[in-house]
Amino acid sequence: MLNGLDIEGDSLLHRMPVRGKLALLFLTAILLFLTSDLRILVPALALSSGLYLSTRIGPGEAWRRVRFVLFTVLLVAAANYFLQSPLEGFATFCRLSTLVLIAAAVTATTGISAFMDEIARLLAPLERLGLVRAADVSLAVGLAIRFVPEILARYGEIVAAHKARGLPVRPLTLLVPLIILTLKDADMIAMAIDARGFRRH
Amino acid sequence: MDIVFTAATVAYAGRTALQPLTLRLSERRIGVVGLNGSGKTTMARLINGLVKPTAGTVTVGGLDTVRDETAARGRTGFIFQNPQHQMILPILAEDIAFGLKNRGYGKAEIAERTEAILARFNISHLARRRVHELSGGETQLGAIASVLVTGPDLLILDEPTNQLDLRNRALIERTIAGLTEQVLVITHDLALLDDFERVLVFDAGRLAADGPPAEAVAAYRTIAAC
Repeated sequence: MLNGLDIEGDSLLHRMPVRGKLALLFLTAILLFLTSDLRILVPALALSSGLYLSTRIGPGEAWRRVRFVLFTVLLVAAANYFLQSPLEGFATFCRLSTLVLIAAAVTATTGISAFMDEIARLLAPLERLGLVRAADVSLAVGLAIRFVPEILARYGEIVAAHKARGLPVRPLTLLVPLIILTLKDADMIAMAIDARGFRRH
Repeated sequence: MDIVFTAATVAYAGRTALQPLTLRLSERRIGVVGLNGSGKTTMARLINGLVKPTAGTVTVGGLDTVRDETAARGRTGFIFQNPQHQMILPILAEDIAFGLKNRGYGKAEIAERTEAILARFNISHLARRRVHELSGGETQLGAIASVLVTGPDLLILDEPTNQLDLRNRALIERTIAGLTEQVLVITHDLALLDDFERVLVFDAGRLAADGPPAEAVAAYRTIAAC
């Protein structure tokens, strides 16, 4: 199954040019790491939640998409809470969650094709200097985005297969087939890319 | 277009997947049959350079698939067993356009060619659909459109009717019959080969029979019965 992470709509973010969205994400990341003031970070988190939901993604799907990353953020924040200070723990949680939600909002409102075009344009100066192949980098980024739902779907299938066979779901029995199947698919997709002549030689 | 194998051999890790094969193919409709693991997919992948011969050569329209890899590949399109694997972008029209964009076509020409190929296969209504939402037959048509839009002379299809219901199987069979390009089809669907000009039968990595459909399919049935 192939799927994109973008959803159709006409929200402010949908109408914004891709470059503007990437700039917003980049600048927000810098600003968030310049402060630990909860009077700034808490409203920023609330704003980013509003921005994410303004894409009309729906609360269920919105939560499904970010829950794993937010769980990781929670672990990092907990480490900061206990190892540094409670204040730093809260600040870390707000800072990273805000970034995750803005990134999710950008992903939800940007088609893979538009995203790849913009990356290729942004990398064009580096290509002229002979440092990168812009088309190859944009293809790699596009494939990475497009793989996310596929891996999630594969994860769901493996969990269902465990349940169907009455087996308990354990990390090892889940991750091993997931990694093997993902690598197998990746091989086929790499071959398809070659077959369609997408990669420059 | 002539496809020429000259003692082409493929071996992996001490196992010979394809015994030395010398063959010239110029017919418009070529079928390839054989048991699983008989070497038919390896033979087909040699044609567009996805697999390189470990000995011998393969040329397509006079182009060597190793030396002139990019040019040779530009003349052959390949449809995989699972066409979902070759749809790189999630929207059908975007995926079709992507192949053209990659070859440096301008925006207007990309739009024109994409529209034309969608119309050719009567799938204009699917242009904005997500590829994972398409039925099996629609996915096959979309994959064929996305490959043919770049204008290859030869189309290779690896088990195109595999896992399709009867209606979609008939749709794909009609589509293949109507293609103006040279076609090479690997299949287990023997009825698909009735109107083909030439059928190759592979067994244990070697060409076991080669001839018109009735004769070749009879040889295949004998091999399968053993």
